[in-house]
Amino acid sequence: MKSREEGKRRAQPLMLTHLQAMLLFALVVSVAFACLTKRTVADRLRYTLWAFLAFVAVAVVVGWIMYPASR
Amino acid sequence: MPESPEVISQTEPHKLSGGGNAAKAVVVSIAAWLVPGLGHLLLRKWGRASIFFLGVAAMAVAGLLLRGNVFTPGGDDPFGTLGFLADVGSGIFYFISRSIESAGPDVSRAAGDYGTRFFATAGVLNLLCVLDAHEIARGRKA
Repeated sequence: MKSREEGKRRAQPLMLTHLQAMLLFALVVSVAFACLTKRTVADRLRYTLWAFLAFVAVAVVVGWIMYPASR
Repeated sequence: MPESPEVISQTEPHKLSGGGNAAKAVVVSIAAWLVPGLGHLLLRKWGRASIFFLGVAAMAVAGLLLRGNVFTPGGDDPFGTLGFLADVGSGIFYFISRSIESAGPDVSRAAGDYGTRFFATAGVLNLLCVLDAHEIARGRKA
């Protein structure tokens, strides 16, 4: 019989893949940085897009650089 | 030698608004820290207030639901202290973290490790928002 503590230990309310976690992080941080540093809506949208793509591109490149170490 | 009227008219409003803004900035900063976005809401920056609240809330709740670690004060580990400072930056989300995810942290999985970073990011983002609200309240930023 499973104990209550064991049940708690196994509960995982939210499951995200590595990619999903990275996309969520990139999106939220990009929007926040854009709102903190830019004044107009157009500038904010442009900066959000640029920062989001930069986050994703750097993560993919660094991921491929580290790929040989995982084998 | 008395100041000319032009000099007085340039300096007096600055002095008057400086003292009032300083007290307002402290209140706004505390409100912004306690509830993400509340500082901007008090400054009538509705758009930024809602975006900051949603952003910090998304990161904090995702971090907790991923069962990330929430650091407590008083540890001997300096990294733990830094983690606590980052986590407590999320304001109300730090204090209700156990209510959101009562099972506690599980960093034995990658998801839990991500959750720890997400929650710390929420705190640091909120601290940046506090600084932004403070600068707006002091009149140094639009």
